Amino acid sequence: MATVSVRMPSLLTSLLGIPKTVQVSGDSLQQAIEDLCGRWPSLAVHLFDESGAFREHVLCFVNDTNTRDVGASEYFLGDGDVITILQAVSGGC
Amino acid sequence: MINLVVGTIKGGFVFTSDAARREWKLVREIFPGWTVTAVARTPSGRYLAGTGSFVYGATVQSSRDLEHWEQAAQSPAFPEGSDRRLDQIWCFNASGDRIYSGVSEAGLFFSDDDGDHWSPVDGLNEHETRSDWIPGFGGLCAHAVLVDRNNPERLWCGISAVGVFRSDDGGDTWTPKNEGVTPAVPDALHGIGRCVHGLAIDPQNANRIFRQDHMGMYRTLDGADSWEKTETGLPSGFGFPIRRDDRTGTLFVFPQESGEYRMPPGRTFQVYRSRSDGDSWEPAGSGPASYAGVLRGAMAVDSLAPCGVYVGTTSGTVHISPDAGDSWIILPFTLPRVLCVESFVESP
Repeated sequence: MATVSVRMPSLLTSLLGIPKTVQVSGDSLQQAIEDLCGRWPSLAVHLFDESGAFREHVLCFVNDTNTRDVGASEYFLGDGDVITILQAVSGGC
Repeated sequence: MINLVVGTIKGGFVFTSDAARREWKLVREIFPGWTVTAVARTPSGRYLAGTGSFVYGATVQSSRDLEHWEQAAQSPAFPEGSDRRLDQIWCFNASGDRIYSGVSEAGLFFSDDDGDHWSPVDGLNEHETRSDWIPGFGGLCAHAVLVDRNNPERLWCGISAVGVFRSDDGGDTWTPKNEGVTPAVPDALHGIGRCVHGLAIDPQNANRIFRQDHMGMYRTLDGADSWEKTETGLPSGFGFPIRRDDRTGTLFVFPQESGEYRMPPGRTFQVYRSRSDGDSWEPAGSGPASYAGVLRGAMAVDSLAPCGVYVGTTSGTVHISPDAGDSWIILPFTLPRVLCVESFVESP
């Protein structure tokens, strides 16, 4: 399996005590996210809504690509890829 | 010692004072950047907090010391595949060892392990009237749970823009209980469409419940089978929080000028109290000029004598009365918009 990095948003790292960057394994984005949530089970509720999809304002990039419109199971990863989870800039207070 | 937790849209703030409650020290920020929407202490002495984010959702956090927090292994959540979205933890209350939590989108959950795992109260969440629940300005939230301390089978739940429901069988089945309350939703059916804002119960006699509603101030003397208006002395029947000093029975509210304005009627910070179970109301001391409102969770009463009263405003000020409303001090801080306030009298 590929080893990839996941960069986490500070709101979640501070709440859950997760490092800002973690290493996970997976040949697809889905496998990598499953590995991530398996290591930190408290994370899943913050990433996914009741539909099972990423929450509306949670973005998941692989390198420079926003994966929102790409099926996670079909998005293949290679060693050294970087997954970045961040919140959409949606304005507000 | 008293701990005061103020939950805001940008985190929680823990203040402490001695029993005089006139000088307060900010000792800690908790959950910076997160909304802190509810705080409570379970019968075991464990603190629970509802935290959330419009990006990352809402969860329950727990602590033994208000400093070190841990996320519940399984926070309240609608089933995977549900078209409902849980976006806020609104309240906690205990009935024996069982803890209840009201949430939005409106739902009720319970925990039998002191807040680690939560399960849905299907009898309410899947109520036969559910398709007729219409969210109001504040959304569709189950913001109040009352328990009969003498009969754990009897519960009440307040849902904004829907009304009060009662269960007589430990939460298995629920019935709308809003007779006598003016509907807030046109053409309301099934006895719902009533916009309850806040509830307070007499723990010695749970038939006596006091209700701050969108349409006025009400009380029931028969466990919510019927309600009557009790607004004598109030400048407005509209408001959000209502709290009761269980030692004396004194009620505290913060009237606001109608649903359109949501500001104090006299443009001053002014709590009102009733020492007659709502028969009449009077100003409780006086406060400064203010245009700020007070949200439904942003008032607390402690258990000391005389009781302390704690009020946080939408402008981020926190007002404290150490003498049941006779006099007030203002904390020398401007916090973010205050969502909830809770006080905890700590054992020496």
